[in-house]
Amino acid sequence: MTSGQQRQGSGNGYLTDQESLRLRRVSSRTSSPIYHDVNRSASSAEDDKGSSELNREIRSNPWHMAQKRTKWLEQQKQVPAQFNGGSWKHKRTKYVHQFKSNVRELLYLFSLWGKSLQKIGGNFGGGVQSYFFFLRFLVVLNFVSFLLIGGFVLIPSIVFRSVGTNLARNTGEEACLKYDPNPEGLVVFYEFFLHLLSGTGFMEYSYMFYGYYNNTMMEDRSFSYNIPLAYLFTAVFYFAFCLICIIVRMGKVARVAVTTGGSDVSNYSRIVFTGWDYGCLGSKATSLKQRNIYYRLQVDLEEERLQMHAASLSLCNKVTLYSLRVLMFLVAVGLLVATFFAIFKATIFSQEQNSKAEGILALFYEYLPSIVITAGNFLVPLLCDQLALIEKYSPSATVVLALLRAVILRLVSLAILLYTLWGQITCVGNTYYSNITESNMTDCDLCQYNHSAYPCWETNVGQEMYKLTLFDLLVNIAILVLVEFPRRMVVDNWSCKLSQWVGRQEFGVPSNVLGLVYGQTVVWTGALFCPLLPLINTVKFVIIFYCKKITLFNNCRPALRTFRSTTSTFFFLAVLLFGWILALVVMIYSVAVIHPSQACGPFRVFPNMWQIVPNSFYSLSRVTQDFLFFIGSQAFSIPLFALSCVVMCYVIALASIYGKSVTMLRAQLKLAAHDKQFLVKQIKKMKHLTPQNNEGEQD
Amino acid sequence: MGTTASQLGKDSLSEYQELTFLTKQEILLAHKRFTELQNRDERNHLNATRVPMEKILTLPELKSNPFRKRICHVFSTSEAKDGSLTFEDFLDLLSAFSDSATLEIKSHYAFRIFDFDDDGTLDCGDLEKLVNCLTGETDDTRLTSDEMRQLISNILEESDIDKDGTVNLSEFQHVISRSPDFVSSFKIVL
Repeated sequence: MTSGQQRQGSGNGYLTDQESLRLRRVSSRTSSPIYHDVNRSASSAEDDKGSSELNREIRSNPWHMAQKRTKWLEQQKQVPAQFNGGSWKHKRTKYVHQFKSNVRELLYLFSLWGKSLQKIGGNFGGGVQSYFFFLRFLVVLNFVSFLLIGGFVLIPSIVFRSVGTNLARNTGEEACLKYDPNPEGLVVFYEFFLHLLSGTGFMEYSYMFYGYYNNTMMEDRSFSYNIPLAYLFTAVFYFAFCLICIIVRMGKVARVAVTTGGSDVSNYSRIVFTGWDYGCLGSKATSLKQRNIYYRLQVDLEEERLQMHAASLSLCNKVTLYSLRVLMFLVAVGLLVATFFAIFKATIFSQEQNSKAEGILALFYEYLPSIVITAGNFLVPLLCDQLALIEKYSPSATVVLALLRAVILRLVSLAILLYTLWGQITCVGNTYYSNITESNMTDCDLCQYNHSAYPCWETNVGQEMYKLTLFDLLVNIAILVLVEFPRRMVVDNWSCKLSQWVGRQEFGVPSNVLGLVYGQTVVWTGALFCPLLPLINTVKFVIIFYCKKITLFNNCRPALRTFRSTTSTFFFLAVLLFGWILALVVMIYSVAVIHPSQACGPFRVFPNMWQIVPNSFYSLSRVTQDFLFFIGSQAFSIPLFALSCVVMCYVIALASIYGKSVTMLRAQLKLAAHDKQFLVKQIKKMKHLTPQNNEGEQD
Repeated sequence: MGTTASQLGKDSLSEYQELTFLTKQEILLAHKRFTELQNRDERNHLNATRVPMEKILTLPELKSNPFRKRICHVFSTSEAKDGSLTFEDFLDLLSAFSDSATLEIKSHYAFRIFDFDDDGTLDCGDLEKLVNCLTGETDDTRLTSDEMRQLISNILEESDIDKDGTVNLSEFQHVISRSPDFVSSFKIVL
C-alpha cells in the first residue's frame, strides 16, 4: 500500500526524501533535529497515540487531498476509538497566537507615520529609513517630556498665579533685585518680529522662560505643592527618563543586531529563501517589498566585494592605503581644530560688539556664534565626505566614521558656546573681553553673578538655547527652499556638463542625524531654563520630518550605495547619549554651583538651586527623615554595594555562560551538517547497492 | 451562508477539517470564494470541475504575488499540468499557507514552489529565477550578472552541505529551521 502511494507522487525527487521527512517528526521550533530524531524513531511511530495526533500526521504530509483521504479511511478502519482531548489545547494556543498577531497589527495602525516610513524604506532602503525612525523616536520623546513638564510645573504655576498666592519676599542687595523685563509700551512692528526671533520683549516675561515662575510654596490643609522643588525634580526626572528611553532602545537595537548580524550566519540563503512575505497585497506593496529585498542583497554583496578587495591588495597597495588613511585623519583633525578656533573668536567678538550696536546689526551680532557654528557644521562634513572617498572604507564604516567626526565637531562647538556663556555669567576670564577696571571687578562680587549684564541670567541662557533651536529650524527650511529645490530644477532642466557632474543630491544620513542630535542636545541643555522648549522642539521636529520627506521624494536620487541599518541605528543612539552627557554636565553645574538670580525665578532666595532639597527635607515628617537618613548612611549603603557587586558577578557569569553555549551550539550545528552529509552519502551508497529493488518498484 | 453550507455537505466539511489545517469558517469562506470563480453551471459539481489558472490568479491574494504561477502549478493535480485547481486543490493550497500548518509542510511546499524546473533540487537556474522573482524584473532592481553569480555561489556555499552543486530538500529545510519568522511570513489568509 505504501509503495502504491509513493508511486502516485508528482516528482521522484520528493519521494525519496519523504523517508527523511517521516523520520524527522519534530515539533516546529526545535533546532537540534538530529537528537530528536534518535529519540522518536526509537519508539515505533504509530502505535500508542490518539486519533487527533494521527490526523495531525496525515495533515503534516505533503500529499494531495485524494491521497490523504485514502490514508485516512485506512486508518479509520484500524483505529476505532476516537479521542479528542488534544484539540482543546491546540485551539487555545491557536487563539492566543491569533490574539497576539491582532494586537501587533493594531499597534502598527496607531503608530505615528507608519505608512510613510514603509514607503521611504521601500524606495530608499534601510539606511535612510533608520534616520526617519530616529526622528520619530525623538518626536515622541520630546512630546512625552513636554507632558511631564507641563503637568508638574506649568499647570500648577498657571493655577497658583491665577489664584494669586503670596510670594516670599527676597532680602538681599538692592542692586541684585533689579529686574524689569516688561517692554516700554507700544513697540514698532518689526521689533515685535525681532522679539519673537530672539525671545526678548513680550516673550521674556512669560511662561516660556525661567524668570516668570514664582517660588510659590503652597501649603493647604491637606494639599501642599512646592513649585521650586517640583521644578527641580521635574528637570532631574526628565533627564533620567530620556536616559532610560535611549538605553532601552539601544538594547532593543543591539539585540536585533546580534541575532541577525554576523557573516557566519547564513545571511544570503536566509534572505533568499525566507525573505518573501506572502501576505503582501497589491502591486504597490509588492514592488516596495521587492525593492527592499534588492537593497538588502545589494548591501551585503557590496560589503563582501569590498572585503575581498581589501584582502586581495598587494603589500604595496596596502601601505599606500593605510598611509593615505593616516594623512586624511590628520587633515580631518586639522579641520576640526580650525573650526573650534573660529567659533571661539566669533563668540568673543560677538560679546564685544553686543553692547555697541543697534537694531538689525545687533541681531546679526547676537546670532554670529550660531552662524559660525552652522557654517562650520555645514562645510566640514562636506569636506570630510571628500576625504572618505579617498579613504575607501566599507559603506557601514564610512557612515560611522563620518558620524563620529561630525559629532565631535557639533558637540564641541556647542560646548565652547556654553563655556563662553558661563564665563560671562560668573565673570570667569573677564580679562579676555573687557578692560580691567575697578568697577568691572566687582560685577560678580556683589551677587555672585554678573548682575549688571544679566539681571536674570537663567532667562538669558534659555533665550540663547531658544535662539539656537529656532535658527536651526530656519536654516533647514532655507536650505530646502534655496538650495535643494533649485539644484533639482537646474539638474533636471539644464543639461550641461557641470550639472551632470553635480547631479541630483543624495540624502546624506550622517549629517542629518547630527542635526537631530545637535537640536536635541540644545533642548536638553535649555530645558531647565526654558520649560516650553520640549514643546517647541516637538513642533520643530515634526516640521523637519515633513520637510525632509518632501525633499527626499522630490529632490533626491536613491543612494547608489546603502549601508546596514541596524549598526547605524545603534550608533545614532550612542551619539545621542554623548549629547545627553554634555547637557547633564551643564545641568549639574547650573544646579549645584552657580548662584541663581535673585531678581527672578523660583530659586531666587537660595544660594544655589540644589539648596531647596535639604530645606524641604526638614519639613518632612520625622519618620520619613529618619528613613531617608538611614538609606544614606553607611549601615545601608555598604551592604547595598556588596549586594550589587554580587548581582553584577552573577550577571557577568551568566553572560559568559550564554556566550559559551552559543559557541557550543554553533559547533553542534556544524556537526549536524556533517552528519547530514554523511547520511546523504550513505543513502546514495545504499541506492547503488540495491538497484534491483528500486527498479522493480519504480516502473 | 445557509445555502453555501448546504451545498458543502456536513460530511465533506468535517472530512476537510480532519484532512487540512483549516477551521470550519476558513473552509466555508474558501468555498464561497471558489464558487465565485467558477462559471454558474459548474457550481453544483464542485469536485469534478477545474478552475483554469487565469481565473485563480484574479484572486487579490495571489494577483501580485511573484510566485503565483508556481503556486498554482505545485498544488494542481491536473494531468495536463496547466495549473488549474479543483476545490480540493484549493483547500490544499490554503491549508499549506494557513496559520496552523507545521514548519515541515510549509518548507516542503516552499521548496516545491522554488523548484522552477520540477527536478527535485534547486540548481543554479532555479536560484537565478528565484532571485529575479524576489527582486522584481524591473530594470533598476535587477541584479547584474556578476552580482547574481556572486550571490548564487554564496547561497550554494552556505546551504549546499553535500557539495553537489544543488540544494536539496533536507538542506533547504535546514536553512529554514534556523529562520524564526518563516512560519509567519509563509501565510496567505483569505
